[in-house]
Amino acid sequence: MNQIKFRKFLSPILILLIWQTIAINGIVPTWFLPVPTEVMKTLFGMIMSGEVPHHTLISLGRAFSGYLLAAVVGILLGLLIAWSTIIEDFFDPLIELIRPLSTFALIPIFFLWFGIGNTSKILIIFKSCFFPIIINTIAGIKGVDAKLIMAAQSLGANGFQLWTRVLLPSAMPMIITGLRISTAIAMMALVGVEMLSSDSGLGFLVIDAQRTFDTERVFAGIGVLSIIGFSLDKLARYIQSKALSWHSETSLGGGM
Amino acid sequence: MIDATNISKVFNGRKDRKETLAISNLTMSVKRNEFVSIVGPSGCGKSTFLLMLAGLEKPTSGNLTIEGAPILGPGVQRSIVFQEYLLFPWRTVQGNIEFGPRLRKVSKDDCLADTRDFIELMGLTGFEHCYPHELSGGMQQRVAIARALANKPEVLLMDEPFGALDALTRESMQMELQKIWLQTQCTVLFVTHSISEAIFLSDRVVVMSKRPAIVKEELKIALDRPRQRDMHMTRQFREYEAYLKNIVWEEVN
Ligand SMILES: Nc1ncnc2c1ncn2[C@@H]1O[C@H](COP(=O)(O)OP(=O)(O)OP(=O)(O)O)[C@@H](O)[C@H]1O
Ligand SMILES: [Mg+2]
Repeated sequence: MNQIKFRKFLSPILILLIWQTIAINGIVPTWFLPVPTEVMKTLFGMIMSGEVPHHTLISLGRAFSGYLLAAVVGILLGLLIAWSTIIEDFFDPLIELIRPLSTFALIPIFFLWFGIGNTSKILIIFKSCFFPIIINTIAGIKGVDAKLIMAAQSLGANGFQLWTRVLLPSAMPMIITGLRISTAIAMMALVGVEMLSSDSGLGFLVIDAQRTFDTERVFAGIGVLSIIGFSLDKLARYIQSKALSWHSETSLGGGM
Repeated sequence: MIDATNISKVFNGRKDRKETLAISNLTMSVKRNEFVSIVGPSGCGKSTFLLMLAGLEKPTSGNLTIEGAPILGPGVQRSIVFQEYLLFPWRTVQGNIEFGPRLRKVSKDDCLADTRDFIELMGLTGFEHCYPHELSGGMQQRVAIARALANKPEVLLMDEPFGALDALTRESMQMELQKIWLQTQCTVLFVTHSISEAIFLSDRVVVMSKRPAIVKEELKIALDRPRQRDMHMTRQFREYEAYLKNIVWEEVN
């Protein structure tokens, strides 16, 4: 167990060592590749000054708002679409047309309509998270074994009970997978939109440092983003394994 | 109690729209408290017939009644044990067994007390909190039987319930089923591929023809109740077995 843990740290440590050696010996200029220990010092300073917490909170607020909106609308609409073919036929063409469109293609329009403030940023995160969630919800419900529904019916389940006791729990692995995928997508969209137009947030922090060739700050910002992304993914996986402890596949991978 | 008259069932293939006549003009009836087994070649429509009795498939034509009333849909007085178990994977053994009673708002404590007998009867004690994927095929099948019994049905429809069990467990399950049946006085329709199992358990064995299925033969089994394991050796049992094997053999070839 301990040995496995150690092996997993080997490659990051090795890369940091090589990087440190290259950078400290001046093989490349530090504005091109800063010294890792200096980056950590800079990062520490930025945390202590409140700069990193400030931008992190703003970023997480945006990401969370867009994500939550996508989760609520995506799951509800997905359930409605899986429930009724009339609703499905109405929304299906819209979904098929907008889904393949790159989120970034919509940014100019969102800026035009909603301004460059928080609204369009949240809507862009919403757009990128919405489709994985709704598609997984629909597929989850439609993929429920028809015979399993029969089994529940013969035990006395009526229409509403079928939804709450069979369809939803049965589709839950797919729905939760959609939710988990979307946490990573939310972070990606967040950074993109904050880099394009913003005066706050971690994406802004990174792009602003790059404009002034302050490469240490660029790397510090990237480091923060990477840690947030990593933690969110771990958290999502943890929640997934807890929620689906009955599920043979996820419970195998659940042991963090 | 159950009367099927001139039942036929046509399935429409999904892709090629080719029609399959699974059952044609099947007529049979089952009396209250009777134990009837159905044997017949694979694919002849046995499962389809049970699904129709459960109210989960509709006959294409013909009349299907229970105590004179047509079967229009599922009803809790008819429980079915599916060939494929069909347990709810997100529910524990206990959760699966009490699925039916909980739907009818029976309290958790009452369910626990009610289902304890079935759990014990099926040899599932100690596994109440396991999930289906943690159980062997044979144990999953036993959960499925306990789940069907927990609804206290008048009619128990069983589709090859012991198919996944080893020979020894199978024999003891047959004894248990006989005990349950004698105790609960329910009516049982039992589909099996094993002719000796059919003879051992039943008051009557129905042989279906190959597709499209009709009733090929019906045989009353006049062995004493309760049946003992050594009855397999008796001359009468052997005669039943030889007779039925011949008929089924003709159908398969
Ligand atoms: N939902 C369905 N759609 C189309 N065809 C079906 C469907 N269900 C059953 N059939 C067909 O009807 C026939 C009878 O099937 P059924 O499952 O009732 O047979 P069975 O007697 O139970 O066979 P086995 O002993 O192998 O379980 C088969 O030819 C099968 O392909
Ligand atoms: Mg079958």
